[in-house]
Amino acid sequence: MSEIRALIVDDSSVMRKIVERALRQAGLDLQPVHEAGNGAEALELLKAKQVDLILSDINMPAMDGLEFLRQIRARNLAPGVPVVMITTESSEEHVKQAILAGARGYIRKPFTAEQVKERVLPLLA
Amino acid sequence: MPVSLRESVGLIADPRNLDATIEEVFDLMLGVHCTREPGPLAQEPEAVTAVVGFGGALSGACVFSMGISAALAIAGRMTGVEFAEVDDIVKDGVGEICNMLAGAWKGKVPELAAHCGLSVPAVITGSDYRLHVQAPEFQLRHRYRFDGASFAVTIVCDGLR
Repeated sequence: MSEIRALIVDDSSVMRKIVERALRQAGLDLQPVHEAGNGAEALELLKAKQVDLILSDINMPAMDGLEFLRQIRARNLAPGVPVVMITTESSEEHVKQAILAGARGYIRKPFTAEQVKERVLPLLA
Repeated sequence: MPVSLRESVGLIADPRNLDATIEEVFDLMLGVHCTREPGPLAQEPEAVTAVVGFGGALSGACVFSMGISAALAIAGRMTGVEFAEVDDIVKDGVGEICNMLAGAWKGKVPELAAHCGLSVPAVITGSDYRLHVQAPEFQLRHRYRFDGASFAVTIVCDGLR
């Protein structure tokens, strides 16, 4: 697979590294990986950087993942770029909200690298 | 439609849900098996505690407490890096595990998963503190061990709709 420019949004720097590791284990050639600690930081980053894939937590300070999704759609940032939510919130309602807001995938924490591979790779094909 | 969890309190307070939660999170995120142990958590001079609050249909908190050795082991397992002291990365990792414990625990009961929110984690260092809850509906406190380190997880519910 060709080089993928990824944006990982999570208020935990440890989780950002774990998600990055899982993406690399899935066989993705990440060049480069951008990181943001919340939705507001991610929006700023998207104004300046182009990405091919976004993975975002939901529960974050300043701007949560669902609002981040709504904002990138409203501002037409990263059009066509798949967004996958990676979060501890796993109810049907949360999944529905995320899909309605524009998410293309949903991964529940805790997760395995295999789950990340299964949910993310089809979106990049 | 208003949601009442009172009829499900037996299921919510089932201690097996907490054991299953620990097994799931530690197996998937750290690749370790934890064994439940009786008795209180051995006191270390300094401790690390992460707290994630519950809000909505259930109010309360998930409290994840341990000594320094367990905190270092957990962060080391998460990141693949060896830590010598409790720095911001270690605190971040402990907080994130607490977040996953809280989310996985509430996910065991569908009504709770849908109608109970989580706060972002707060991490406390030091052991000179008390957790005060005026009239808890229920409280679960289990101690576990892995790789020679031990930790405790407390679920305290001080309100149920």
